[in-house]
Formats: sequence, C-alpha cells, structure tokens
Amino acid sequence: MSAADLLLVVMVGGLTAYALLAGADFGGGIWDLLARGRDATDQRRLISAALGPVWEANHVWLIFVLVALFSGFSEAFGIIGSTLEVPLLIALVGIVLRGSAYVYRAYGGGAAGPDHWWGHVFAAASTVTPFALGVTGAALATGDLAPGAPWRPLTNPFGLVCGLFAVTVTAFLAAVYLCRDAAAASSTAHLVPGLRRRALAGALASGAWAAALLPLLRTHAPVVADRFADRSIPFAVASALGGVAALMLLWRRRFGAARVAAGLAVAGVLWGWAAAQYPDLIVGHSTVTSAAAPEANLAALLVAIGLGMLVVLPSMVLLFRLFSRPDPYHEPDPAGDGH
Amino acid sequence: MVLAAGAAGAADLARVQTAFSLAFHICFAVFGVGLPWLLLYTEGRWVRTGDPGWLALTKKWSRAFAVLFAVGAVSGTVLSFEFGLLWPAFMARYGGVLGLSFTLEGFAFFAEAIFLGMYLYGWQRLSARAHWLTLWPIAIAGTLSTVFIITANAWMNVPGHIREVDGTVVSAEPLAPFLSPAAPAQVVHMLLAALMCTGGVVAGVYAIGLLRGRRDLYHLRGLRVGLAAVLVCAPLQLVSGDLAARVVGSRQPLKLAAMEGLFRTRSGAPLTIGGFYDDATGRVRYGIELPKLLSLLEGFHTDHRITGLDAAPPTDRPNVLLVHSAFTLMVGLGTVLIAFAALVALVMARRHRRGERPLLPTGRPWLAAAAATGPAAMLAMLAGWEVTEGGRQPWIVYGRMRVADAVTSSPGVGWTLAGTIILYLGLAAAVILILRRMATGGPGPGHAVGPDLPTAPPPALGPDVPPDRLAPVAPGTLAGSDTRVAADLSADAAAPAGSEPAVPAGGGTRR
Repeated sequence: MSAADLLLVVMVGGLTAYALLAGADFGGGIWDLLARGRDATDQRRLISAALGPVWEANHVWLIFVLVALFSGFSEAFGIIGSTLEVPLLIALVGIVLRGSAYVYRAYGGGAAGPDHWWGHVFAAASTVTPFALGVTGAALATGDLAPGAPWRPLTNPFGLVCGLFAVTVTAFLAAVYLCRDAAAASSTAHLVPGLRRRALAGALASGAWAAALLPLLRTHAPVVADRFADRSIPFAVASALGGVAALMLLWRRRFGAARVAAGLAVAGVLWGWAAAQYPDLIVGHSTVTSAAAPEANLAALLVAIGLGMLVVLPSMVLLFRLFSRPDPYHEPDPAGDGH
Repeated sequence: MVLAAGAAGAADLARVQTAFSLAFHICFAVFGVGLPWLLLYTEGRWVRTGDPGWLALTKKWSRAFAVLFAVGAVSGTVLSFEFGLLWPAFMARYGGVLGLSFTLEGFAFFAEAIFLGMYLYGWQRLSARAHWLTLWPIAIAGTLSTVFIITANAWMNVPGHIREVDGTVVSAEPLAPFLSPAAPAQVVHMLLAALMCTGGVVAGVYAIGLLRGRRDLYHLRGLRVGLAAVLVCAPLQLVSGDLAARVVGSRQPLKLAAMEGLFRTRSGAPLTIGGFYDDATGRVRYGIELPKLLSLLEGFHTDHRITGLDAAPPTDRPNVLLVHSAFTLMVGLGTVLIAFAALVALVMARRHRRGERPLLPTGRPWLAAAAATGPAAMLAMLAGWEVTEGGRQPWIVYGRMRVADAVTSSPGVGWTLAGTIILYLGLAAAVILILRRMATGGPGPGHAVGPDLPTAPPPALGPDVPPDRLAPVAPGTLAGSDTRVAADLSADAAAPAGSEPAVPAGGGTRR
C-alpha cells in the first residue's frame, strides 16, 4: 500500500468519524426543527445538552479531512473548489450559522434577539448542511461537474437524493444516540418513547433511501456502480446487517447496543462508497496518482497524523467518558451558570 | 487591499473576500490564543485561595470565551474552504507544501476544542484542580495553532525548500514552512499581538466598568489582569517587530520599501513617519522625514543601501499608499501603547515607594487610556496583517505565483462576497450585543448558585478553613468602597500567595 493509499484510508476513517459524530449533531438540529407538542421544550433541551460539550470537537473531523485532502491531493481540492462552489458555500453558511446560533442561544440570554429565533436558525442550518455535503459527495462519484457551471451539482437527481439521504441518516443517528441519553436520567426518561419512534422511523427511511439510491447509482455514476458490484458487497451487507440490528435493538430498548449497530450501518455505506470510488477521487477528473503530493510530503503528513492522533484520540475518549453519564447535579444547562 | 490589485476584477473581489474573512476570523481567534492564559491565572488564583472573586472573573470570561471560540472556529472553517474556493490554482500547486502546517494546526484545533468542551461543561463533573488543569491543553494548543498557521503564512512570504519544474512542485521538504526565514519573527510577533489584543479588550471592559462607577475589587482585578497582559507585551512587541522588519528588509525588500514609502534605491535612506504616499511622484506627502535613520536601523550604518520601489517595474509593486499607511498606523499605535506601559510602570514604582495602594493608578484619565488599549491593540493587529499581506502583492507566493494566476474563474465571486459581508456583519452585531450584556452584568447573579460551585473545596483549603470562605457570594457583595478595595489590594500585594483575604462581604450596590 502506497503512502497515498494509506492517507486515503485515514481520510475515509476521518470522514466516518465526522459522519457518526458530527452527523449526529446535525441530526440533533433536525429533531430540534421538528420538535412539536408538549415535550418540545424538553426535547430541545436534551438535544442542546447532548451537543454542548462535544459539537466543536466533532466538527474538527471535517477540518481534518479537508486539510488532508488539500495537503495530500491538492489537485483534487483545486477542482472541487472551482466546480462545487454552490453546495460547498451552502454547507459553509450552514456550518457558520449552526455554530454561531448554538452559542448565541446557549449564552446570549436574549441579548441578540430571542433565544428561540437562534434556536430556529440553529435547527434550519443543521438540516441544510448535511444536505449540501451529501450533494458534494455525490458529485465526486458522478463526476458531473465543470468549471463555470456552479449550479450543476444541484440539478443532478442522484446528487439531490444523496443530499436527502444524508439528512435522513444524520437524523436517524441522532435519534438513536438521544434514546440512550434520555433513558440515562429519570428527568428525561419521558422523552424516550418519542425518540424511539423517531429512531425506528429514521432507520426505515434511511433503508428506503439506500434502496432507491442503488438504481440511481447505476444510471448516474456507472463507473462507481461497476466497482461497487465488484468490491463493495461486503460493506453493503455489513451496512444492511447493522441497520436491521439497530431496528431490533431499538425495538427491544437496548439503546447502547443500538448505537453501535446504527454506526455500523452508516459506516458500511461510507466504506462501500469509498471502495467503489477508488482510485478515482473525482470520477473523470482526478485520481489518486494524478493528485498525490510528492511521496516525502505524504510520508511526513502520515507521521504528523499518527502523532496527532496519539494526542487527540485519548483526549476524545476522555471527553466522551466525562459526559457519557448524566449530569450529577441538575438539569442540563449549557451555560453552567444556573440561569 | 481592494485598491491594490491591478489585475482582473475577479481577483479584486476574491482578495476583498479573503481579507474580510481573515480579518473577521482573527478578531475572534486572538481570544482563543490569549484568553486561556488569562483564565489559567484567574482560575489558578481561585483554586489556590478559594476567593470567590477570582471564580466570578473566571466564570464570566469562560462564558465570553465560549462564544468567541465558537465564532472563531466556524469562521476558521470558512477560511480553509475559501483557500480552495477562491484560490484553487494556488491550493492545487502548493497545498502539499503547506500540508504539514495545516495538518498540525488541525490537531491543535482538535485538542483545543476537546478540552474546551471539558472546561466549559465540566464545572460539576471535575474537581476544581482537574478543571483548572484542562486549561493547560487549551492554552498550549491555542498557542501552537497560531505557530502552525503563521508558518504557512511565513512560507507564502518567504518561500523556499521546494523544487518546481514548469509550474509543478516536483519535490518539497516536508518542513518547508517551518524553515521559512520569516517564520520565527512572524510567529512571535503574532503571539504577542494575540496576548495584547486579549489583554487590552479585557482591560477595556473593566476600565469602562470602573469609569461607570463600579469601583469594586471585581472590576479592579479584571483591569489589572488585562492591563498586565497588554502592557508587558507592548515593549516585547517592539523587539519582535524589529526582528520581523529585518527579515522583510533582507527577503522582501519591496515590501520594506512599501512600508517605508521609499521610492529611490539609495544609501543613507531616511525614515519617513506618517504621511501619504503619492504614486505619481513617488514621494510621501505630509510625512516626517528623519534623515538616514532607515539605513541606520536596517544596516546599523547610515551608508547601508536600501532597495527602493524603483527596483521593480510598477506591476510588481505593492500598493504603497495602503501598506505605508497601515504600517504607520501599526507602529504609531504600538508606540503609544509602549509609552502608556512606561508611564504606568513609573507611576506604579512611585506609588510603591510611597506605600500607596492600589499600585495601579485608577484616576479617570488612566482608566480612559486603559479602555483604549483594547481597540488600539486590535487595530494595530489588523493593520499589521495589512502590511504583511498587502506588502506581498502582487504575489500570493512571493516571487513564485501571482495572485492573478491563483484566483478562481468562477463567475459568482461578487455574490459570494456580498453574502459573506452581510452574514458576518450580522453575526458580529449579535456577538457584540451578547458580549455587552455579559460585560454589563457584573459578576453575574447566578455565578455562585449551589450546584455551580464544585462540590469539593479547592485543594488549597484544608478542613480548618472558615465556612464563609466557601459560602456562595450573594449578588453585590463584591462591590466595596474604594477604601475597602485599596485595603484589600494592599494586602493582596503584601501577603504571600495563598493567603489573600476573602472579598469583604456586605455593602456595595447591586449592579
């Protein structure tokens, strides 16, 4: 395996972490948007408390993948930057508004407009971002992009379905994760049935989208579709098994295990896509060999990533462990200031 | 920067967009670098002494930090995308060279975000000491991320250690950005600037509070910590700035010429302070010219030969009016800050001799000057970046790639720019409103509510500590009269660490 291939594996790993962690944060925003009825306020509070300590760290996975892309495969980054402006800008606006609105709501105390306005901004931005990122990813598989045609990715049916698929999947992940959070404390236990229904619906909807995507993949991304049939069946099977297992575990209220199964279902899709994409980075435009930086730079990059992960991964485990149990003292309060 | 580009309109717009996004980001990023160091001090004092006054400051700043860091983080994300969106040719060619810097910066950002999560939300889950300890990785990572990012910028200014054939990088030393001769001075200059901006803004907030009559220990401490940061760094900044200018003089002579408004290459070059550079005549109007001083400063000899703008054709020169003006502004503000630091030091020494307390002068003119240090430091920092980036023009990578060759051919740059400006101005307005609310709220009514305090007493406190030391402070109790503040501060200064008296209870008015 060459240094470039190894870097790609690391990048897909980073992308998986982004999808499973930050994806769920976006999904939390989607459920914030869809929160209705008697429990809406409690639901929003639960979502906000779950996001608070981790969303910024989760977000950095995107930076990680992006930096690895432009450091290791700068040609591809250049092409993406000059052809996928529109979906990327939409994602960026979403990222900026999501993060800002979250802290404005948590810490603003109404100083910059009512908190619930920022709540709506947060929720809407959380929905738009995964959609735009899904469209972007799809364009890499179809190769349906060209300089000077910035709107093209948004007119590709496969891309649009991928965008919706991404939104559905993030919502599914969030609902599964939140089930466990809600079940962990008596003060939020009443939210579990609603979240469980959402998680089950999300699992079914994600499965349905995935089934709809396969024929579209054949018509719109034939290159990737061929390789998918050759290489990606094990990943697809793993994903399907994960999905079914998640459904069953949710049904039996085994929320901790359901998290793992749901993660497997989503990771399977990503790895299946990545395997089928190889060696193309952008089908028809850029390949691993055409885009790779000089070998010495890639080796240095890998060493730096290895050392960096030695610091970051244990820290991240510490972060998640610290916040995995419910707050020992009082209801989640993002500001930590009792008001 | 708008005026500088003579090339295509797209390049102009893309430069404005980059400049605007960078300026926006850096106004937040400096706090990500500076505030953790200040918090280490204030929370450290609280952990050692159990004094709720230090806890109140810490809590207030950590809330502001949460907002500033989040906006800094998302606007930084925008930047990393913008490199590709606006300058695809630049990234396609040099992305690999800058890779190590950006990768390491990514990890520093990672560490900062992870531990910030623990810090902001871990008040109830961590012991006081463990909570304080999470600040260390935040502070170190924030500082390192500056180091890594600045090496990338330094390489764009003084590139080297790569081999190119026909516009393709065929080999690059992985450490190229770190080996750029511009890196050390630029890194130190920016780190000091970040500390100065943070300290100045913090000092400004509390100076304004004191000016408005909230003459209590809480405000005095806030002022003291912030002012210490900005005023101690100011003279050091002079040294690092001098080093940086020397590198510029030897490696980017045209940038130095633009900074100084020097048209003709000559020995015995004068130093021109202020004024406006006139492109038509190659002279600085209304500037103060000090004969031979530039040669003396750069080469330690009045005969030292300084390259002027005439060494390059007009298309290869930066916009001198802009760069010279920005440089003048930066140096001017820096000089004023150093003078203020010297004055404060003098007065403090005199008060110390006379046994007066508090040492820090707190008369209205002093407070007004302290309040101005924040805007002054921020403005100087932005002007400094204009010098660095504007002075590099027309190159994106000095001597290797022109800005005009790097820019995107995408048609929608104007729309993107308009959208960015509207979005960012809106976000900035909201941040200002929120921070203003925080700043005028005093120590905060809820800062000492039951579950908010760590359950365990701070480690320095043994079982024999009087219970009132740990008691929550009722709103308003931090407000004392001037004499009480003075008494406390004198004790503060005289007593060894750890024995600082608790903030006097009672009295004062609720803010």
